[in-house]
Amino acid sequence: MGRRAKKHLSTAVALVAALVPTAVVIGVVVSLLSASDFHNLGWAFFGSKWNSNTQTYGVAIFVVGSFLTAIPALVLSMLVGLGIAIASTSYLPRWITRIIDPCVDFLAGIPSIIYGLWGYLLLAPIFGTLISPWVVQHLGFIPGFSAPSYVYVGGVGLPLSIVVLTLMSLPITTLLIRDALRSVPRDLVESGLALGATRWETVRRISMRHGSRGIWSAAFLGFGRAFGETVAVAMVLGAATAYPTTVFSQTDTMAAFMFDNLDGALSTPGELQALAELAILLLAITLVVNVVGRRFVSALYTQEVAGL
Amino acid sequence: MTAANASGPPVLSVRKLRVRAGKRTLLDDVDLEFEQKSLTAVIGPSGCGKTTFVRSLNRMTEMTPGLKISGRVDYLGQNIYDPAVDPVLVRRRIGMVFQRPTVFPMSVFENAAFGLRLIREEENEIDRAVMEALQRAGLWDEVKDDLNRSALGLSGGQQQRLCIARALAVQPKVLLMDEPCSALDPAATQRVEATMDRLKQEIVIVLVTHNVGQAARVSDRVAFLHSGHLVEVGVTADILERPREKLTEQFITGRFG
Amino acid sequence: MPATVESYVPPPPGAELLRATSLSLRWRVSFDRAIGYLLPLLYLVALLPIAWIVYWVSVHALVTLNWSALTDTSPLDTHSLAVPIISTFYVMLLATVIAVVFGLFGGIATAEFLSERVAGWVRTSANLLAGTPSVVVGYFGYFAFVLYFGWGLNVISGSFTLAFFMLPYLFRTVDLAYTSVPRSIREAAYGQGARPLQYLLRIATPIAFPQVLNGVFLAMAIGVGETAPLWLTLEQSALVPTGLFQPASFLTGQIFEDYTSGPGTPGIALAFEAAFILLVVVISLNIIVRIISARFRKRVEGLFQ
Repeated sequence: MGRRAKKHLSTAVALVAALVPTAVVIGVVVSLLSASDFHNLGWAFFGSKWNSNTQTYGVAIFVVGSFLTAIPALVLSMLVGLGIAIASTSYLPRWITRIIDPCVDFLAGIPSIIYGLWGYLLLAPIFGTLISPWVVQHLGFIPGFSAPSYVYVGGVGLPLSIVVLTLMSLPITTLLIRDALRSVPRDLVESGLALGATRWETVRRISMRHGSRGIWSAAFLGFGRAFGETVAVAMVLGAATAYPTTVFSQTDTMAAFMFDNLDGALSTPGELQALAELAILLLAITLVVNVVGRRFVSALYTQEVAGL
Repeated sequence: MTAANASGPPVLSVRKLRVRAGKRTLLDDVDLEFEQKSLTAVIGPSGCGKTTFVRSLNRMTEMTPGLKISGRVDYLGQNIYDPAVDPVLVRRRIGMVFQRPTVFPMSVFENAAFGLRLIREEENEIDRAVMEALQRAGLWDEVKDDLNRSALGLSGGQQQRLCIARALAVQPKVLLMDEPCSALDPAATQRVEATMDRLKQEIVIVLVTHNVGQAARVSDRVAFLHSGHLVEVGVTADILERPREKLTEQFITGRFG
Repeated sequence: MPATVESYVPPPPGAELLRATSLSLRWRVSFDRAIGYLLPLLYLVALLPIAWIVYWVSVHALVTLNWSALTDTSPLDTHSLAVPIISTFYVMLLATVIAVVFGLFGGIATAEFLSERVAGWVRTSANLLAGTPSVVVGYFGYFAFVLYFGWGLNVISGSFTLAFFMLPYLFRTVDLAYTSVPRSIREAAYGQGARPLQYLLRIATPIAFPQVLNGVFLAMAIGVGETAPLWLTLEQSALVPTGLFQPASFLTGQIFEDYTSGPGTPGIALAFEAAFILLVVVISLNIIVRIISARFRKRVEGLFQ
């Protein structure tokens, strides 16, 4: 084969190989769309009843459930992650952080099903018998914080899920915020200190500003993690197809519901297609969050560079 | 000492200052005094301890772990290393400008106001102080039309003058400058030197520089450091034209120009 | 003696450094000090659960774990983890091979051969794929491989699905490994007249290899811990699979199947043992990665000046 032809062939092979990720993404979308047969895309899709007997497939509950678990988890993991990252970069000596930071990162390595196992078998009883009764007793006057014991005694439900999701997002937020803060140039920090600022003031007013892009990335990625988590949530949320009425209620998320119900759907006409549509919705939300996050972060970058 | 500037006790008084890092001695028994309203240039070959010296004047040495400091540095009679003294207060009175311009990612105004906001000054006080600081730093005319633009959009020389203004805003009596022009082009350097020339009539400036010409242009006194020792100190003209020590002469003739 | 006015020595003017001149300064310093004690405590929020989980799983697993539980492959043995372990191994092996093939070639192609624009698109889609929930990838695998291709719920469907879940991580690592070969080395090679394949084989790959290897191990650590991609595409079985189109059980699936078994049942024992094995595998892979990184850093110290 001539040199030219070889080059063209190898370029072609390279192109094909490189396009695999794109192909997969497209494949995912196509497969889900065709599976759904465009069956159900009317207003009913966004209703709140999912009943395979009556063939109504409304996903509202799951959408609400996904956000209701992911957003508090994001907030908590950002707060804790911020605290840990600040302690690591500004308050603790290097020889300590060199040991404990990798330990925190290891949270990410624990398989989600083990989080689920631990949550379901160990934490749930603690929630059911200690934490929830305490909350009902002391905070029960707040609307939504009171419930008869059968609601919370199992322990599974919103609070437990939020705790587990927080732990699962924590390594991501901590890592990204830590990197962002660590990349602040030393003399910028020293300039702040040389002006008479305390460590906290230099972190808050200088480092966090300089690292704001990384911090926002942490938020978007942490949210994505919590939002898309499947198995752990399936095990600790209680899988109840209903809107939560109290803080302790069980409910369901898109990912968990999809996971639990695929085999059941095989025997019910129309349910499989509806599930495929739910998958499309979940994918769409994930992609939107991803793209918006990316755009937002790079917009911050161009602002910075242009001196706006 | 210079007749023109001798007007009262020295603002900064360094006695037997010794700085060690493990086994190495970075500064050995340095004695030096800084009079009011003067500019002292600290010169010497790289590694001689100039930066360590100047950082020990406002307790920035505490930023580097493992440094041991003995001796005293008296600010207006009070040893800044006294355990009862708060480093935050020291740095308000003894300010510092670094080698590269270190403007914060905020507007010009907010940069200059940074130190003032920390001590919770009143809003109109801050406005006044910012204007005054920018004027003293020689930057006011260039930025007065838009104080809210980001400091990152300024040129290198302007940024460095902003750092000077930022340090001046909290009314320090001493300004430490660690090779402030080394990252600037000649035109910007000239402006910063003009600023230093004006400021030395108001406060004490300690200028670390590797540029002997710069020392000649702006300083009243020159201190020559070599390998952590203070070899010689005196009036600028004396040191540069008639150095007493061999080491000083070697350094100057090698570097003058 | 009259009151000693003369003996009163006023403090030096520098005494202003001694005392906080205002309440607000004292507050600022105290606040900073307090934060310095409180923030590090937040580490416990992360570290306690890790220690707790590892301890708890190990304690429960080691009570029932014994040699036969790890090796008895008889399908009637309800106490044995051997079948899931071996099956997981097979599935992981196949998935890793597929992921490596696509990820390696794709990553190298993107790092070396594509124009910046196209490379940008490919990287974006890899990132999007990485961010896709595991259940969505599982659904894709189900509709594409199980139904459309008609393979059914077996090893080949499961491995491909898992492979595509692992792919973006591998892809990113390979891409990064090859693009971070120092420019100077690259230019020197091509300047000497090397052709792309030669450059790749003899220069870039030896440099990038440790990072790629790390990427493979990390992807494996991710893959072995996933449940959804396999659960939806692979049917459980009590037998070790003997062919691609056979069902197989896997560790995470075993846990999910048995976690609701009551205490004391063989099911829950299996769940704990499987969890324990998983942790051991994941921790080992992480340690290996760390060792490789350390070796790599030493080797390449001079290169990246």
